[in-house]
Amino acid sequence: MKIHVNEQVLELAENINIEQLLVHLDKPLIGSAVAVNQDIISRSHWADTILNEGDNISLFQAIAGG
Amino acid sequence: MLFDEMKKNDQLIIGDKSFSSRLFTGTGKFNDQQTMVAALKASQSELVTMALKRVDMQHRDDDILAPLIKNGMKLLPNTSGARNAKEAVFAAELAREALQTNWVKLEIHPDPKYLLPDPIETLKAAEMLANKGFIVLPYVHADPVLCKHLEAAGCAAVMPLGAPIGSNKGIKTADFLEIIIEQANIPVIVDAGLGSPSHAALAMEMGADAVLVNTAIAVAGNPVAMSEAFAKAVQAGRQAYLAGLGGQSTQAIASSPLTAFLEASL
Repeated sequence: MKIHVNEQVLELAENINIEQLLVHLDKPLIGSAVAVNQDIISRSHWADTILNEGDNISLFQAIAGG
Repeated sequence: MLFDEMKKNDQLIIGDKSFSSRLFTGTGKFNDQQTMVAALKASQSELVTMALKRVDMQHRDDDILAPLIKNGMKLLPNTSGARNAKEAVFAAELAREALQTNWVKLEIHPDPKYLLPDPIETLKAAEMLANKGFIVLPYVHADPVLCKHLEAAGCAAVMPLGAPIGSNKGIKTADFLEIIIEQANIPVIVDAGLGSPSHAALAMEMGADAVLVNTAIAVAGNPVAMSEAFAKAVQAGRQAYLAGLGGQSTQAIASSPLTAFLEASL
């Protein structure tokens, strides 16, 4: 299936959840936040939120700042 | 009370957290992560700011979180990049998930040239975030009326600016900061523009509860040494404030007795 992650189109296996997506993308689990179709998904629901064809995923990460 | 005891009891309380150090620091603009961590340690800061950004899919950014957490620093995510209240609330909610904290430095500055905070959007966002249970620390202009509105909206502290972000110009807003400090029932943290330890000391002498410094430390010739200098200045300024500064006068007031003993020996 195809999903969009920060405007990039990715081809992924069916039934992948958010936690698996982050691991697949080699992104850190700590310090990250995820929105699916503009809804922020709480960390406690990453493992049980299954992604669907056409989903728009936004990935955010804590960085240095003042 | 003995001064040692006064110092020991002199804790800054914001929301549900108590701080021994009144120097808060930012993590931006350091040349490398090692220098950043060493400088933050030297500052003895217990609250450090961070930002949030959309992940760059092509690169993996340095993990700066682990060393901060390891050193026991409390993280204060900001909403930098938000141009209005709606975006700021979204950023705060993302930051809460990313860093697992309901603390947020609310900053909304749509104009990149001066990075001055938008008071109308900031007040709107502060009300929404406080209602959602966030500990809100808004970055604002040194506007006493706005600061009272933010206090009424439920903010845990206010963060009025000394000068534009990163300008190192010092306290250009002194007269208004004094009014804010006099009127506030919540902590006042002077943020932005503090370019040297003397600026930070002055803010503390004026009665600010804390200061936030980033650029002046990060871009210094030796950030670690500068960080320590700021820590000393903040302590000195706080101690002077607690000690009670003497009043000013236009006319001289002699410090020595004006007896004419020299004339007498002639």
